[in-house]
Amino acid sequence: MRTLVANVEEVFREAAARWVLVAYFAISTIFILVFSFAINLDIVDGALAGAKIFGQAVESRDLRNGGIDIEQLVLGFESGFSVFLYIVGTFLALFATAHLVPRLQEKGTIDLYLSRPVGRVQLLLSRYLGGLLLSASNLFYLMGSIWLVVVWKTKVVHPQFFLAALVILLVIASFLSFSFLVGTLTGSTGVATMTTFSLFFLSLFVAAHDRMAAALDSELAAGLLHGLYWILPKTQEMGKAVFALVAGEEAPGRLASALTLSPFLTTAAFGVVCLALASWHFQRKDF
Amino acid sequence: MTATLAALEVRGLRKVYRSGLRGRPVTALSGIDFTVQPGELFGLLGPNGAGKTTTVKILLGLTHATEGSARIFGLPVGDPESRRRVGYLPEGHRFPGYLTARATLSVFGQMSGVSRADLARRIPALLERVKLSNWADVKVKKFSKGMTQRLGLAAALVHEPDVLLLDEPTDGVDPVGRREIRDLLREEANKGRAVLLNSHLLSEIELTCDRVAMLRQGKVAAEGRVADLTASQNPGFTHYKMIVSPVSDELLTSFRDTGALVERVNGHLQLATRDLEHLNTLVDRARAQGAALQELSPMRSSLEDVFVDLVKMDAPGASMEGGK
Repeated sequence: MRTLVANVEEVFREAAARWVLVAYFAISTIFILVFSFAINLDIVDGALAGAKIFGQAVESRDLRNGGIDIEQLVLGFESGFSVFLYIVGTFLALFATAHLVPRLQEKGTIDLYLSRPVGRVQLLLSRYLGGLLLSASNLFYLMGSIWLVVVWKTKVVHPQFFLAALVILLVIASFLSFSFLVGTLTGSTGVATMTTFSLFFLSLFVAAHDRMAAALDSELAAGLLHGLYWILPKTQEMGKAVFALVAGEEAPGRLASALTLSPFLTTAAFGVVCLALASWHFQRKDF
Repeated sequence: MTATLAALEVRGLRKVYRSGLRGRPVTALSGIDFTVQPGELFGLLGPNGAGKTTTVKILLGLTHATEGSARIFGLPVGDPESRRRVGYLPEGHRFPGYLTARATLSVFGQMSGVSRADLARRIPALLERVKLSNWADVKVKKFSKGMTQRLGLAAALVHEPDVLLLDEPTDGVDPVGRREIRDLLREEANKGRAVLLNSHLLSEIELTCDRVAMLRQGKVAAEGRVADLTASQNPGFTHYKMIVSPVSDELLTSFRDTGALVERVNGHLQLATRDLEHLNTLVDRARAQGAALQELSPMRSSLEDVFVDLVKMDAPGASMEGGK
């Protein structure tokens, strides 16, 4: 346990020393500050009577016709913002953690770690846990702060916003596993970053597998496309799920329909398989 | 029970590296055996590619053996627990540059399972011991090569291991520092710790180690006490260097008549005699022939001589004796 804690701490210490942690939180803080100071809302009897963004009054027919229901406004903002965070949060997290395995495997470094009484799989998994905690801490800092600003400005408390963080974290966990697998295979931060982002976009792309397969002449190609869709994380569905979970009953039907267990399970399964393969390879590797 | 176990026990260790699917297999180790006992300073020598680093890596679980076994205090090296009693200083190690010396020892101490309370007590003493007290809170990236080596040594000792595996521990260290490291290793051995030293610096090994194994082409080509390996290469004979003047052919013949081995080298004589009485006979014969004795001293080959002789056997055309 002491070894595990030391390894997790080391991930944070390394991130801090390399300015990753500072940059990660600084970008988030700037965003929070801009958001909190830029928006001024005038709420009268639970309805938005007026709004200013960067000091400029917002002109809207709804505002002139008696105001916008503030509950609706918060729900709409948080749903949309959670999808924005889904993309940005995932990208930031993968950038901030892609070096974890390649750096560990560098000559002169790996010897120092593996010569301690710690199993290889335990070492790899502790780095993984450290990376995930690093991503989670920033995600919850960003979402928590935005949530508090929204509560402060609107007095509307909507805890469902945090459900988005859990989904985003699942997606990060899945792609981080893939990044670890590439990291153990190649030992290159650059390759791990490029392939992980490529996979993210590929998984978005194959979400339209039904329409794409219909346009293909080859049944084999269509089958491969369907197979690829089922193997890869369900990036698009998870984005829809983020919106649907935060919006709750107010979510549009086409998004709410995405809220099934299957995308969650296949996304998690992809992560588990990648992490198992990374552990297997790391265990067998000669350094 | 533990006291009776060898600190390191290597039996029939073989390692074949394969690169890729079509890569030609390269044999790094062809079945080596050696044992290191607690309290022993053991040197591992050999030319580049002899298999020294592979051996150390297998002992630490960094590389997997193809065949054979390696144990640390009876535990197979595949078991991470075996490393709880090992302190390792790798060659060309890279401690995170953002850590201070104190933090480095703390992080690696914790990874070896040492509590924070014990580390708080041990670290200042260790830094003092490796002469880094004044640099305790300076980041490692500011350290010179020699200082990094000292820190590496401290990191290898932080969990008070029973075995030390050291790869070129004096690399980049000045002569005074080298002596200090040698003294430190001797102190550790006197405490009952086994030390395996892997170094190219033969003089360091000769000065430090009790016993050595010389690897050549993945095999143990020679193993034994340093004194035995550097002693006479002609069993039953002791070698001397003699300077007498004048040296005549008659004098050499009279020496050889006694059964001595005599060779004329760069103005002096190299003699091999059976015993002291035999040596005195040669001195008497020299005097009887009017030669003046200027110098007489025993000769020992250095570890380097032994090493070079072994390496020469790799040369094309040289006889390739295998095993010990």
